[in-house]
Amino acid sequence: MTTEPTAFLYPFIDSEERDKEGLLVDLARSAEEKWGESDRLTAETLARCDQQVHDAAAAIVERVRDGGRIFTFGNGGSATDAGAAAQQFSSPPHGEAVPARSLADAPSILTALANDIGVAAVFSRQLIACAGRADVAVGFSTSGGSENVLAAFGEARRRGMLTIGFSGYEGGRMATCPDIDHCFIARSDSVHRIQEAQAALLDALWGAVQQELARTSFQEASL
Amino acid sequence: MTPAPAVARDLAPAALALARRFAAGATLWCLSPQWPSHAAHVAVEFVHPVIVGKQALPAEAVTAPDPVAVLRANVRSGDVILAISDARNHVVADVLRRAGAWGADTIWVGAGERPTAGAAGHVLWLDCDAAGAGPLFVRIYHLLWELAHVCLEHKGLLAATDPTECDGPVCITCSDEGRLAEVLSADDDEATVRTAEGRERVDITLLGPARPGDLLLVHAGTAITSLEEEGR
Repeated sequence: MTTEPTAFLYPFIDSEERDKEGLLVDLARSAEEKWGESDRLTAETLARCDQQVHDAAAAIVERVRDGGRIFTFGNGGSATDAGAAAQQFSSPPHGEAVPARSLADAPSILTALANDIGVAAVFSRQLIACAGRADVAVGFSTSGGSENVLAAFGEARRRGMLTIGFSGYEGGRMATCPDIDHCFIARSDSVHRIQEAQAALLDALWGAVQQELARTSFQEASL
Repeated sequence: MTPAPAVARDLAPAALALARRFAAGATLWCLSPQWPSHAAHVAVEFVHPVIVGKQALPAEAVTAPDPVAVLRANVRSGDVILAISDARNHVVADVLRRAGAWGADTIWVGAGERPTAGAAGHVLWLDCDAAGAGPLFVRIYHLLWELAHVCLEHKGLLAATDPTECDGPVCITCSDEGRLAEVLSADDDEATVRTAEGRERVDITLLGPARPGDLLLVHAGTAITSLEEEGR
């Protein structure tokens, strides 16, 4: 950055001051563009996955009515998305609470498994301990290739669980994984935009589950 | 497609302020009593960037039962506290009102009814209902991370202090204002308080009894106003 030797005399008009304003203008424009990009990806993903969302919701409610519980999992930002999903289902802002928990929320369990067995087993080993055939596995991976997420789907399949995946890019290995019943793909190559669209998909899935719960509770009441 | 909401533009000054604090050695403290997963998500973004080659930055999610106690013990002057909540969350409000005494900058992300003016240094707010705003909160803190890293590449602007920006007790525009202080201990006439500049002894005879945790405004070695409610 070049500065006139006399710039210190005029602190309000030196080049750095103008550059800061220029940077703020660029940042605001960039934020607006990325916001629009996320809007478009979210709208495209929700439209493409609409039928899939309703099919998965019906399958989840079938399990829940049978005593099933939802187990969510993922790594890093996807671990926190798994936590948010478990909270959305089990402590909803309105509607019916559904038993749901995140396998990524307890450092005691995660560190014990990672240290004693290996990071690939941190979710699958918890399913062995806690989950059964009426339950639902919901896994998040932006790449679609996380080893421990795929291992958990494999274990969930062996246990007869319903399996639902959230992936990004072109779906990665999750797209063709025979262990996953419903695989939602946010088609982007930005990890952030993928997670944003996945969060909207999860919201849509939760909404569809609530509709299905309300519909089937009416059916049960009229029997 | 609807145009981006105002919060997208508000992210720009927040990101620059955050980047400046990081460049000076700040830790980012993340707090969301209503949605702890969001606080954890912000922390992992900064500590372990999704883009290879981006600098790992110090951030921590505060999920303990008493965030005020944890933050009071850990926050150093110059740090930044980022809260995600609705405007009515009492824990977040209590943290943010104390942050000035700890020397911390504040960023408040939320939705719905807006907080009162000045409740945080940067308010990144959505007009929609907070209960359904989760996916947009993710978008806001992703963009904050992305823009802060752009700022970190503009090294010349990180150390710059604008002459127009208030920078503490010598600022000509606020030299008559009191500085925020949190009482650490007090006797009848004097209290030991914490301010952004560190520990100080101040005269409290104008105010009467003060208790640990009380917030005061101090000026020239004297507590001139208590910010605690009467009869608390």
